[in-house]
Amino acid sequence: MTVVPTQKTVGQMRHGDHLLLGYDTDEQRESVLAVFLIDGLASGHRGLLMPPADMPAAVALSFLEAYGCSVDKEIAAGRLCVDPHLAGPEGLWDLDETIRRETGRAVDDGFLGLRVCTEILRDRAGRGLKTLHDSELLLDPVFASLPVLGICQYDRRIFHEAELTPLDELHHGRVGADDVWHDDLLTISRTFAPPGLALAGEIDDTNVTALARALHIESGRARTRGANGIRTHLDLCGLAFIDVSALRLLVFTALELHGSGGALVLAGVAPHVQRVMRVTGWDRVPGLRLEPRGEAP
Amino acid sequence: MNRAGFVHQALCYSSDEEFLSGTAGFLRNGLDAGDAVLAVVREDNIALLGRALGSRSRHVEFADARDWYDLPSRTLGRYHAHCGRHGGDRRVRIVGEPVWTGRDAFETREWARYESLLNVAFAGTGHWILCPYDTRVLSGDLVRTALRTHPEVAVSGHVAVSSHAYADPADFCAERDGQRPPRLPAGPGDTRFDRGRSAAVRRALRAYAGELGLSEERTHDMVAAVHEVVVNSVRYGGGRGVVRLRRDDDYVVCEVSDDGASGTAPPEGFPGHLPPGPPVARGHGLWLARQLSDLLAEEFGPSGSVVQLYFRLPRPGLRRTGAASAAGPPPGRARRPRGR
Repeated sequence: MTVVPTQKTVGQMRHGDHLLLGYDTDEQRESVLAVFLIDGLASGHRGLLMPPADMPAAVALSFLEAYGCSVDKEIAAGRLCVDPHLAGPEGLWDLDETIRRETGRAVDDGFLGLRVCTEILRDRAGRGLKTLHDSELLLDPVFASLPVLGICQYDRRIFHEAELTPLDELHHGRVGADDVWHDDLLTISRTFAPPGLALAGEIDDTNVTALARALHIESGRARTRGANGIRTHLDLCGLAFIDVSALRLLVFTALELHGSGGALVLAGVAPHVQRVMRVTGWDRVPGLRLEPRGEAP
Repeated sequence: MNRAGFVHQALCYSSDEEFLSGTAGFLRNGLDAGDAVLAVVREDNIALLGRALGSRSRHVEFADARDWYDLPSRTLGRYHAHCGRHGGDRRVRIVGEPVWTGRDAFETREWARYESLLNVAFAGTGHWILCPYDTRVLSGDLVRTALRTHPEVAVSGHVAVSSHAYADPADFCAERDGQRPPRLPAGPGDTRFDRGRSAAVRRALRAYAGELGLSEERTHDMVAAVHEVVVNSVRYGGGRGVVRLRRDDDYVVCEVSDDGASGTAPPEGFPGHLPPGPPVARGHGLWLARQLSDLLAEEFGPSGSVVQLYFRLPRPGLRRTGAASAAGPPPGRARRPRGR
């Protein structure tokens, strides 16, 4: 799976941003959109969802309930709305005009701005994605001049990464989920395919508690995901240093998961981290699976 | 001869015949008893044993002592791992000939400590280690020390007597601790640390390793080992201390010192010398520091602790002495003796 660096996390977005979200799973799309729309509610913006099919607003927005949003109440107040425009055959042709009009309406209704989420449909994209390119191109002046910010959602199970790369230039970059943790030494972020966490930087006594919290929450998510046995996946490709007490926490977590039939998978383990695990005897802990760097998962 | 419990014997020999009469029968008895049999001896002695054992030598695992006895803490880890792999319900029977030539005074001290610590590390196991000492080349001092670190002395292939000079490992190590290397003097490049500031130490270590041209692997080892000692100082040594970095012709020396904390007892037993227990227990940090450094001298007390970690500098033209395989598979495993 190609990993494309994100230029911005959703929590950093501001007026004028027109960003591309390439997502691998529905969970990934929903977690980014939920933060985007709920941040909008907090900021006095109207949220506009343009889903790929004509469906009732409450259904299209129902994923927000899991994030503590009262969807019906927000729809009734006009703070969230749904426009099936993109589901129509000519949806992409006048997308810029639609967004211009909706932004003006949001301002007229007393909002400070508009947040728009557009799901791009492949079969509307035209030959060689020409229609899509033209449409994205026309969007740029809208975002540049009005109090609007938007996310164009591309399902990477349908669009190839090679098709998305040229589209990057028509956006102000890519958007990703907010970091779970970020300090001078360590960044913890969520991964979606496979679901888990990516740890980048250094883990020591100053931030091991952040790791513990993130692991705890991730294990909870893994439980609700169900499947057979809880597997928590940690991407350690960017991990430069981890000390013994943090490794002990990983071992402890693995043993716990093992107890309930699951496992902790460590992917992209650097040789020097592997060495530390071998010396401590922690490379053979039940429930801990090591996938060294450069090995296909 | 069959024995229960851990057996650790010294065998002093002054000729090839004495070496063989002390070791070949010992190994044959092991094979007869179904033991896992390992011989870690000098290259010339591998050849001698190969000829003496004939076709039975293919059931003996041989390793060159030069590779195996690289650094005391790592050799201990290696024996521990070997017995874990091959032991189980079986007795592991070992002829282990430590290397004494070419060691300086500090290294010799640490190797003698290692011989003594074997008695603690393998107490409670049923393994049997016989350590040959070649009196033709070793000083009388080394041989006398062997009698203090081995509970028994083998006098021929089948007979052993108690060593009257044997010293309890705790006493022996305490005595050796009296001969610690001197403290490093303060210098402008010293790095002070306190709670939550270990990242600064790691940065200083990486910069220093870069200046010295250490390999990426050894730099990682140095950072990981020193970090654990620093974290120990933060936790048990009053929360702050200083790291000093120096080099001499052979080693990089990293000294971590603190002023201690009232009410904190120094670690008991042999901190970091023995393989740690289950994952949740303490004690992995110092074990790791010992395994990843080349030598480590420590002093723990209520009024402060000083730990010096030594990392051997690469010597151009000589074979690499850095440990590419800490506690991993031993180098020279499954060697076959030449000349059957």
